[in-house]
Order: sequence, then structure tokens, then C-alpha cells
Amino acid sequence: MCTSTKSSAAAAKVQEVREITRIERIGAHSHIRGLGLDDALEPRQVSQGMVGQQTARRAAGVILEMIKEGKIAGRAVLIAGQPGTGKTAIAMGMAQALGPDTPFTVISGSEIFSLEMSKTEALMQSFRKSIGVRIKEETEIIEGEVVEIQIDRPATGTGAKVGKLTLKTTEMETIYDLGQKMIESLTKEKVQAGDIITIDKATGKITKLGRSFTRARDYDAMGPQTKFVQCPEGELQKRKEVVHTVTLHEIDVINSRTQGFLALFSGDTGEIKGEVREQINAKVAEWREEGKAEIVPGVLFIDEVHMLDIESFSFLNRAMENDLAPVLIMATNRGITRIRGTNYQSPHGIPIDMLDRLVIISTTPYEEKEIKQILKIRCEEEDVEMSDDALIVLTRIGMETSLRYAIQLITTANLVCRKRKGTEVSINDVKRVYSLFLDECRSTQFLKEYQQEFLFNEMNAEPGSETMETS
Amino acid sequence: MNQGTDKLLQYLSEVEEVAEDILTDKNQLVDLDRKRNKNREALRALDKEIKADQMPKKSLVCFGNMFIKFPKETAKKLITDDQAKLEKEVTNLRNGLKHKISKLRELEGKSELSGFSLQPLSREEMCAVEQFMKPCR
Repeated sequence: MCTSTKSSAAAAKVQEVREITRIERIGAHSHIRGLGLDDALEPRQVSQGMVGQQTARRAAGVILEMIKEGKIAGRAVLIAGQPGTGKTAIAMGMAQALGPDTPFTVISGSEIFSLEMSKTEALMQSFRKSIGVRIKEETEIIEGEVVEIQIDRPATGTGAKVGKLTLKTTEMETIYDLGQKMIESLTKEKVQAGDIITIDKATGKITKLGRSFTRARDYDAMGPQTKFVQCPEGELQKRKEVVHTVTLHEIDVINSRTQGFLALFSGDTGEIKGEVREQINAKVAEWREEGKAEIVPGVLFIDEVHMLDIESFSFLNRAMENDLAPVLIMATNRGITRIRGTNYQSPHGIPIDMLDRLVIISTTPYEEKEIKQILKIRCEEEDVEMSDDALIVLTRIGMETSLRYAIQLITTANLVCRKRKGTEVSINDVKRVYSLFLDECRSTQFLKEYQQEFLFNEMNAEPGSETMETS
Repeated sequence: MNQGTDKLLQYLSEVEEVAEDILTDKNQLVDLDRKRNKNREALRALDKEIKADQMPKKSLVCFGNMFIKFPKETAKKLITDDQAKLEKEVTNLRNGLKHKISKLRELEGKSELSGFSLQPLSREEMCAVEQFMKPCR
């Protein structure tokens, strides 16, 4: 137990290092850290990057509780609302609140249409990506710093070698007699005094963790891969427990792959046979019965769900009833529209029988105060200093055009500001980018005025009759 | 206010108590392992002497502060028994630690560590699973 927590702490450290070296792009929803609810599931006005949408967030919070208690599997949630009202933000918030261990898959409705695999296969794979299996690995290891390693070769040149290995931790020190096999693997790993090593008790596998800090000055020239570690604490012989969460899809992939060279490639493997899935399901069920595995139902988020067609919907209908189904969250910004693949109209472009199974959360357009808050949060997220009156102007722009447009202006205005070597974005910067970049409204206006001068212009009918088509 | 302080003190002492308990167990584990390793070294040394068939049939065994002469075979049996007892004690302590740590985490308001109560996968199963967790090995 103690060692396992230690190892996970070490893993976290490694991740931190990686995060610094990676150049982080700031995503549209990178400021969201949760749903912003208090313990009683009441939404706070501004919290964890969430602003407003209190009814929707409260509803999402209730669903989240149900997910955590494992009660909602086999049901689905639809988040419906106009564009730019925070649907994706709420889904992101739910994912964040579920914690890092819960699988959360995001796909867009149009993603399932691919030439390489069928629609249902793509859906099935994302379903199985959203279900985690928690398993535990337990090993008995000997971990310590090599104080001395002594190998005696017989004088005749033939016959068995014998040797001694002295290991220590901060608390104790002991001597091991070495057999032929151990000596071989120690020589193979080039273990020498001052190395920190672990020996797997069951297999005898030796792993070099690095060199001890106290030996850092032993040599002047050292390879760049030499890693220095602290001398281990505590007992020499430890029990190491590591808990892994893997998704069903990952297990599917490894089992459907032909062994050998191909095992080096991970990634898209095309379609996975139904029998393989059944075998995996059986194996996982067996593990569960033996207490070896836990199922972690995750969340599958399908954005732009109106892009799915009628076949996909009927597949979803059936797949949701599977006992290994994740919680399905869908989002759409459509009103009553044609179901893809049919000529029927339906609310949100979703068949009625499907709609019947859904819990629907609706989001409403943001108010002025909320838009201001969001813009402020985004400014902080993007490290932009903005004067108060510039923010007020930007809020007005956000009200009249769209929130997304206003958020775009933050970055661009900041660039303009930096060009004139200012430290704080002023009204003039905002005005300047507002004149440089058209919003959707002004762009349409412009097109209407000058359409005759564009190429391939065939706008003959009155504008408006040709609404956006989804299929 | 006073009541609040009392409550706080009580809470803190409770946390400290559990934490102290865990530390004691950890120390004991180290002590047991030290003993276990010493025993192992002794067994090895005895084995060697028995194999080499050295003349003195008896060997000095140190119990606490006293050296006692024992026939080698008896000494070996004694230590082997001790070793088995130690092994059992270590396992018990380790299993107990798990509950104590989850209790401490609960008191400190941290989230529960999930999955540690599972049965471990067997070696072969782990090998298969490892293939996709640590690719190219």
C-alpha cells in the first residue's frame, strides 16, 4: 500500500515535467474545471469557469450524482440549446467533475461517417472507449541501493560463478547470495555499486531505476540518460500495488490484433470482430465475479447529434440497453428539423422513440452580465489584461453579435495591443479589431451588397428559403 | 465559538491518532523486514556450513543478548519457523494499513482510493494486459 501511493506520486511528478515541456494550446473550453456546484448541488453564479446556465448546471449535477452512483447506465441525456449557449461547456464540466479516472469520450456526430469502417462500428468503438475496467497489479519487489556487488569467477575458468550483492535502504542493509542466473542478469543490466535497482521477486527481473544522489560525483563524464534518484526508504522487500484503468476498447484492440510486428502499432485497427468483443465481455465478467476487476462506466459525449442518421439512431437505441453501456450525453443546436436519412421532421432531428429515452436539459442564451463574466474569465485564461471600458464595449459586441465572436476578439485585440507596445487592451484596440474582422451579421450584409461581384454567384431566389441543410 | 474550538481539537486529534497509527505500522514493517533479512542471512550461512559438513555440529545462535549453542539443524528449524511467523505478520500489517489509510483519507476529506481492494490479476493475465499499457517491450 505504502509503496503504491509512492509510485503514483512519482508518476504524477513525471507528468508534471511533461506538461512543462509540451506547448499547451489554449482551447475554447480550457477554463472549465467542473460544473461549479456546491455540496448541495446548488450552482454558484460563477465557479470553476462556469457562468450562468444555473438550471442546466443543476440538472447536470443531479445526473452526475446518478452517474457516480452507477444508476443511470442505459439512459441518455440531451443538452439542447442555441449555438453558443454553453452545451459543450457543460459536457466538459461534467467530464472534469467525474475525475481523471472516469473514461470520457467526445465525438462529433459527423465523425462516424468514414470510408474505413461502418457507422455502427465507429459508434460501437466509441461506446467501448467510454467503459473503463479497473484492475490491480500486485508485485513483491526488493528495492534498494547497491552498496557492493562482488562476483567470483572460478580460477579454472569453468564452473558456476558465485557472488554477493549488498543492498541498502535508508533504514537497513542486507547481503544476498547470488546464483548463476542472478549474476547473469546483473551483468547484463550492468549493475554496479551506487545503482538503485528493483528486483521482481517472482520473476527475478532486474530494473535499474537510476544512480544514487550520494554517488553523483563518482564520475566526471556521464551520459545524458543517467538519472539520479534518492536512496529508497523503508523496508527492502516491498509489496507494490498499482491500479490501472483500461478501456474495453483497448482490450478489444490488443486481442483482435495479430501478434508480432503489428503489435508495435497502436491506433486505428479498423473493424473489430463481434466474437472478439464477446470473448472480452466474458473475460471481464469472469474477472468481476472473481473480484479482480471493477467496471467504471464512463461518459460518451456526442456533439452535433443531429448529424447522425436514422440507422445510427436505431443502433444507439439498442446499444443503450446493453448492460455494459456508458452514459450517453448528446448535444444539439437544432430545433425541429429533418431526421437525417429520412424525410420526416422531428424535434432536434432525433426520432421520437429515441427522444422518449432521453432526459433533456436545455440551455438558454446568456445575459449581458454573464457574457461579461465569461469574457473576463477568458481574458484571464489567455493572459490578457483588458481595461474595464474595453470589456464593456466587448460585452456589447458579444450581445449584438455572438459570444464566440467576442471571444475571438480578445486574442486579436491583445495582438494589436502588443503591436503598439501597450500593456492593457484599450477600447481603441477592440474597435480596431472590430473593424478588421467581420462578424457573421456584417459579413452577410457585405455579401448581400456585393454579391454581384463574386464568382459563381447563383443566388437567384430570395435569401432565407435556402436554409442550412444537414444532409 | 468555544464549542467550535473543541470540535476542531477533537477532529485534529482524531486525524493525528490515525496518522500516528499508520506511522507506527510502517515502522514496524521496517523492523520486521530487517529481522526477516537477518534471518535469511543466517539461514543461508547455516545452510552453507551444513553443506560443507564442517566439524562442529553445533552453532552459536544469538537470542536477544544471549548466545546459545544449538545443533545446526535445530537452529535452522527455529529460524525457519520464525521466518514463517514474520511473513504472516508482515502480510497482516500490510492488509491492515490499507484500511487505516482509507480511513485517514476519509477524515482528511480526500477522495477514496479506488481499486486497491480488488484481487490482483495473475501473472499471465497481467502480461497480456501489459502489452498495450507498455507497448514495445
